[in-house]
Formats: sequence, C-alpha cells, structure tokens
Amino acid sequence: SSLKQQNCERLQTAKDEDEDVADPIDDREIFDLIRSINDPEHPLSLEELNVVEQVRVRVDDQENTVGVEFTPTIPHCSMATLIGLSIKVKLLRSLPERFKIDVHITPGMHTSEDAVNKQLADKERVAAALENSQLLEVVNQCLISNARTS
Amino acid sequence: MAAGSALLVGLVEEFVSGQQDSKAADTATGLKAGQFTILQLVEALGLHLASSQPQTRARGVQLLSNVLQQCHGDLTEREVDVLLAFYENRLKDHYVITPHVLKGMNALTKCSVLPPGSAVSILKSLFQDVHVQSLMLVERSCVYNILTQLMESRESELKGLGADFVFGFVQSVDGERDPRNLLLAFQIARKIIHGGYDLGKFTEELFEVTSCYFPIDFSPPPNDPHGITQEELILALRAVLTGTPRFAEFLLPLIIEKLDSDVQSAKVDSLQTLTACASVYEHKELAEFLPGLWASLRREVFQTASERVESAGLAALGALTACISRSVLNSDSEDYLNVFLDLVLKDCQHHLCEPDLKLVWPSAKLLQATSTASYRASHRVAAAIMPSLIEQYNSRTQVSHTSQLGKSSEEDESVLLDFRQSLCSIVFSALSENSAGLQITSLRVLTALSQQTGETPDLSMAQGDSATPSQKHSQQAVRQRCLTALAAVSSQPSVVQESTPVLLQVLTTSHTGMCHYHTLFCLCIGRPFLNMSYPVIIDRLTVCPGQVEVPQMDRLLLELEELSCTCDHPFSYTSAAKCYAGLVNKRPAGECSSPVLDLSLVNCAWLSSLTDKLFSLLSDSELGSLAADGFSLLMSDSPDVLNRGCNADVRIMYRQRFFTENSAKLVQGFNSAAQEKKSGYLKALSHIVNYLPRQVQLTELPALLPLLLEALSCPDQAVQLSTLSCLQPVLMDPPSALITQLEALVGRTLTLTTSPAMKVRIASLRCIHALSRFPEHEIMPFRARVLRALAVPLDDLKRMVRSEAVVARNEWFLLGSPGGR
Repeated sequence: SSLKQQNCERLQTAKDEDEDVADPIDDREIFDLIRSINDPEHPLSLEELNVVEQVRVRVDDQENTVGVEFTPTIPHCSMATLIGLSIKVKLLRSLPERFKIDVHITPGMHTSEDAVNKQLADKERVAAALENSQLLEVVNQCLISNARTS
Repeated sequence: MAAGSALLVGLVEEFVSGQQDSKAADTATGLKAGQFTILQLVEALGLHLASSQPQTRARGVQLLSNVLQQCHGDLTEREVDVLLAFYENRLKDHYVITPHVLKGMNALTKCSVLPPGSAVSILKSLFQDVHVQSLMLVERSCVYNILTQLMESRESELKGLGADFVFGFVQSVDGERDPRNLLLAFQIARKIIHGGYDLGKFTEELFEVTSCYFPIDFSPPPNDPHGITQEELILALRAVLTGTPRFAEFLLPLIIEKLDSDVQSAKVDSLQTLTACASVYEHKELAEFLPGLWASLRREVFQTASERVESAGLAALGALTACISRSVLNSDSEDYLNVFLDLVLKDCQHHLCEPDLKLVWPSAKLLQATSTASYRASHRVAAAIMPSLIEQYNSRTQVSHTSQLGKSSEEDESVLLDFRQSLCSIVFSALSENSAGLQITSLRVLTALSQQTGETPDLSMAQGDSATPSQKHSQQAVRQRCLTALAAVSSQPSVVQESTPVLLQVLTTSHTGMCHYHTLFCLCIGRPFLNMSYPVIIDRLTVCPGQVEVPQMDRLLLELEELSCTCDHPFSYTSAAKCYAGLVNKRPAGECSSPVLDLSLVNCAWLSSLTDKLFSLLSDSELGSLAADGFSLLMSDSPDVLNRGCNADVRIMYRQRFFTENSAKLVQGFNSAAQEKKSGYLKALSHIVNYLPRQVQLTELPALLPLLLEALSCPDQAVQLSTLSCLQPVLMDPPSALITQLEALVGRTLTLTTSPAMKVRIASLRCIHALSRFPEHEIMPFRARVLRALAVPLDDLKRMVRSEAVVARNEWFLLGSPGGR
C-alpha cells in the first residue's frame, strides 16, 4: 500500500479558544486519536497503511456512540484482532465513559470478519485479553509512540 | 387513449362535483406524464363549463387554471392560442369566475410560445371587461403581474398599443391602496417611463395617478409578514415621479406645495425628491420654478429646527446649482447660473456681515452648498464673498467668519490661490486667538496651505521676517515653521486632537528626524494630553541607532519621571515609563547631569527606586496585582524598549542579579504578609521565576518551592497560570527537592484541571503529563487516582483541553504496564 503523506494538523479557529463555546466531539477528533497507532508488524502508522481513514469514523456526540471501521492490510491478516484491539483500547483510554465504542472490520475486507468483530464487541473478552500481559505488551507498544498526539 | 380519458373523466368529476381540491395536482401530473392533453382536459370539462350554475363553471375554470399554473411550460403554441381565446371569452362571465380566469391568464402569459398578437388582445379584453379596482387584492395583484410579464416578454407588441396601454394602466391603478400592489404598480409605471412607451396625451394622468400618493405616509402593521417598509415605497414612487422631464411641470409645483407642510417627513421627502429630479432635469424644466424653489429652500434652512431637513435642503440646493451649471449657454441668452447665484447671493451675502449672528450660519451653509456644486459656482461665490469676509475679519474678529472662510477654502484649493496672501495673515493671527474653534479651523487651512507644493513666499512674510528673497526658503523650512506654529498652539485637547495626527504624520515620513524630534518633544513637555503620541515617539526612538541628540533631554526625562509616577492613567504612565527607559538606556554610560541618572548598570538608582516602589505596592490591596505585573515587565524581554533588538544596552546576567537581590525580599514579604495580601507576592515571584534561566531555576527552586506550591492553591487565576507554566519545564527533569513534594503537586494540579479558566486547565494537564516522567516507583502509588481524575477532562467542553487530557492520561496508562515506558 502506498504511503500517505502526513496530514497537517487540525487548524485552530477563534471558536476553539473561546471559553464559552462548547466544541462538540467530531469525526476528525476521533480520527486524530487513532491515526498514529502503530501497526504491530510494520514501522508505519495505521493511517499511513490506510488501515484507518477518517471517512470510516463516525461519532455521535449526542447519542454517545463512536463507530470505527478498519481495513486490515490483507484479507487474511492475522493481526486483525490485535489491530482492532489497539484501536479499541486507545479509544477506551481517551474517551469519556459515556461513549459506546464500536470497532469492526470494514465489511467484506477480511475472511474472518464476523469472528473478529464479535470478539471486539464483547466487553468481557476484551477485558480478559488485556489481562494477558503478553497481549497487553503488544497493544501498549502499538500505542506507545503516539502517546503525544501532535 | 381510452385509459387516459377514463382517468381524466374521473379526475374532473372528483374535482368539480366531489369538491376534491387535491385532484388538481393529480391532473397536472397526468398531463405531464402524457396521459392526456390540455385540450382533452378542456373537452372533458365541457359539460361543467356550460353549466347554468356559476359555481360549477367556476370550479371548472379553477381546475383548468390550476393545471395551467403547473404545466404552462409544456404547452404548444396552438394550445395556448385556443386557451387564450377561451379565457378572454370567460372574462365576460359571472364575477365569481373572474378570479380563476385571471389566474389562468397569468399562467398563460408566462408561456414562451405566446402567439404574436395575443399580448395585445389579452390587454384589450382585460382593460375592457375587467374593472380592476372592484377586484379583491389577490386578483388585482394578478392583473399587475400579467402586465409585468407581458411588458417583459412582449415589449414591442405592447408599445404598438400606443397610449391606450398607458390609459388602461392608469385606470387599473386608480384608487389602489394595498402597499404590495402599489409597489408592483410603481414598478410598472417606472418601466413605462423608462422603457420608452408612448405616453401620448396621458402624461398628466399618469402623473396624477401616481403622485396622489406623494408624500408616502405608511406605517407597516406590527409583525408584517411581507416586510414592506415606508422607505421602499418612497423610493419606488420617487423613481416614477423623477423619471422623466415631462413630469417637471407637474412635479415641481407639487414639491413646492408639499414643502410647505408641517410634517417633517413630508418636507424631507420633498427635498430628496427635488434633489433626485435635479439630476435628471435641465435648466429649461426648472427655469420658471427657480424663484419659488429658492424661496422655499431658503425658508427651510433659515428656519429649520431639524438637522435632517436642513441637510436635505442643502443637498437640494447643491443639486439645483449643479443642474443649472450643466446648462449650455446660447450666445444671446443670459447666463442662467449667474442669474440664479445672483438670487442666492442677494439673499445671503449681507447676513454674513451683520453683527447679529443669527442668520450667519444658515447663510454660510447655503452659500457653501452652492459653491460646492460645481467649479463655476465655487468661483463665482468665492469671488463675491471672500473680499468682504476678509475685510470683515480684519476689522472685526469673529469666529464664524473665519470658520466660513475655512470651510470654503477646504473645499476647493484653487480658490485659495487668489486669496492666499490675505488668508495666511488671517490664519496666523487667528492661531493666536483664544477660541479653540477658531484655532482648529485655522489649523486646517494652515495644513492645506503647508501641503501645497510650490513657493509660499507669503508665509515668511506673515511671520514678520525681513524681506529676504522668497526663493531661498525651502519646502522644509516652511514646514518647520508650520509645525512650530502647530506645536505652540496645541495646548487644548480639542486642538491637540487636530494637530497630533498631522505632527505624527510628519514624524513618520520625515527622513532627517532631528529637528522634528525637537518640535515634538517641545510639544510633549507640559502637555499631558499628548500621551497618545508616546507610542510613536517610542517607536521612533527605538529604531534610531546610537545616540539621540535630544535638546532639553533632562527636562524631558524629569517630566517623564514625574508623569510615570504621578499620573493615574495606566496607559500614560506605562508609556511614559517605557519612553523614559528607552531614553535613559541610550545615554552613554557615565554621562549624568542629575542625581537621578546613574546608568552604569541596570542597577541604576532609578531602576532600584522603581523596584522598591513596586515592592512597597505589592501588599496594597488595589495595586498589588499591577505591581506584580511590573515585575514581569522588568524581567521579560520587553519587546518595545529594553531589548537588544532596539539597540538597548542589555547587561549580562541582569535577571539573575535582579533575582538574587530581590528574591529574599519577596519571600520575606510573603511570609510576613497577611493572608489576603499574599497573592501579590506570589504573583511577583512566579513572574520572576518564570523568566529565570534554567540553571538558576534549578538551584533556587528548593527555597522557593513552598511558595510555589502555595501559589498553586491561590485563587488568582493569573498566579495559577504563571506558576503552572514555570513549573512545567522543571517537572520534565525534576530535581529531588520536587519529588518530596509529590503529594502536594499531584493534588493541586489535579484540582486545577477543573478550573473555570481554559488556560489553567490546559497548563495543569501539561504538568500532570510531566509528572508521569518522575521515577516510576515514586509515582505508581498515584496512578489509579490520576487515571480516575483525568477521566473528567476527557469530556471537557473545549477540544484543546480534551486533547491535553488524552495525552496525559494515555501516558499515565503506560506507566508500569508491560510494553510501556
């Protein structure tokens, strides 16, 4: 897949600095949270690999829902679950509790998408996964270098 | 098509007999879909259209018209032809059918395939068979819309109708009362006039039917959904009335009549209408009415109680003058402009010379209005009045005269040429008068004079110089003299307002600045109103390299010091202080002419006395905060004055010296101050620490830490912000002293993440992020608490805060976690 040029930072407007104006959480904000997550195998970010794209991010601030579709690099990608987990964990750590977070594979882009999606949607299974220190280690490493969102 | 006709019959039945209005839309759809044609529809309606019941016939026509409104774009020429014949015929039918007939005709007139000749026949039947003013509002609008549409698409055909068209229109509109319809009618009338339609012998009728609404008096009802304003109607009507010179003979008497009214808005409307038509008419239209118009205008300006009326009157006079000025002279006719101006001058001139000032101003204004209207007029008026005015001034000083002079000379500089010498002498003597108004006007004239290129030998003569050859005086010298005069005069606020911009402009554009500095400083001394100019002075000072040779420097410095210490106005004393600092800094070291100016190091007496003063103020409840900010100013790289970029003499390590000399004092002051006064000290301290170089911060921090932590709990947001921003870099590489204070640090910064100020929330979150760098075993105990607390700012109102919280929280998550740092 082709390398994506690093998008420029979100432009700040006067409203952003106005104390009295509330900034709703929008798709761009969610995308900024996940775009620089590392791929577990390649030295590139999920955005650079086109695994995540802003158009596949949907947030509804009023309804407290977030939906992220991600596209594994190849249909048999064995890392699909791990990638999905990293995205989910990043969002869990970065979003207020009120949000229901739905992370799933872009339909038709993976052979075991149903199974993966089911895992990612299951709260207990996610919690259990994160108690596995080896798994947690890999996830943390995916998240580590983007702990500072530029 | 059998299916089509069955459908059609059904729809017709349901609409007409079944009274189902929705079937009209279905019929239109069916027509568009090609299930039947329009003529088939007419046929299907046949029975109903021939009914003896008017209501039934009406219903039939209504269906047809509704469908036409939807489908008029799809019709063929033949169909339109047939339909038009039908509709024209139906205009003669029962009045209950007429509304629907009109609607249908309206739709048909929108067809692009309207056959030739039909426009004329439509209008003929309309004018013949319909009495428009007996119709309801909507139907009347319909008629006007038909007219408008036909005028747009079939102009040449309508013109072929000749004057009958105008007559028909006049009859339709006569008596209209509704504002929406009136707007339509005025627009049609305007089109008739401007579109070149033949008015024939109905010019007066057309004028009458529209002018009866003049002047418009309309109060829209509250919550009017149509939003028509009186202004709209006035303007629309005015466009009609002033549209052609053929109306002049009727309009001008009307204007004169309405000018007599007691109602102010009527007066204003008349005057504005007069102004408008003067731009369209020529002298011949105005000629016979000029005396009457002048009498009314004069009366309005002389007796006016309203500024609106006065200015409208003056504008009208100007427009009239301009109109007459445009007229072309015949060899054997008299000069109309001169005739008119003679009239004006005869009535106004003598007032200017009267001791009784009551009519001077109005006369002056009238004269000014005429003289500004055209070049010829200005010359004529100036030539007539200047000599007498000048003579007046020389014999009897009066404010108003000079103002009048000033006014006229403002307008047209060429007029000045003839009178320059006398003007100059007047102006210079006026400058020494006491009246501010006089001085201002003189200044304006003077400015105009001094900006003119070319020789001005007269000025030097007015100065009382000996008779040196005028050619020797350069532009520069002239300017200099004017400036000096300006400076000398600027002792009153109103005058200063005028002179300062001129002076500043001179300063900023001059190249050899020195003589101007002199002037400007002389200006500033003793004149507190000129504080506004300090920023410019500072600006010039700071970019001027090396030494500034300023005469009377000492006196200036004393004044500045006085000003900065005693003046109440913060901008003034700040500017004065900065100016002072800039000047003082540029003095060569060692040069001192007064005990105040010792400038070997920043440690100069002035600076330390200032510092002492600031210290003493820190505990003052009102000034404490400001005094603390003063420390910020001292320590920071003041961008405009004490800056290397401004050629200032920045001694090394001055900040450290300042700190070491004063921090003990600060700490002491803080400890001994009462609780509520502590914030001033905290603020000053945080400023000082903030600007310290890193190394110094590290070594000094242990002593200051309690104070800084105290500062974090201070309710003053500025203190919080200042402390947080100076803490944060230190936290990134924390000295051991800080680590012992972790509990306090964590606790207090977490509290600040919910501050009402966005900047404080962001700064505290950054500190918490920085805290995550502390040795892991020290901060692990805090992890759970921090993660919990940081969940709150994740949902902050502001995105900028949220993103800081995300960064911090994620960093804390990685702490002590496999794969983490």
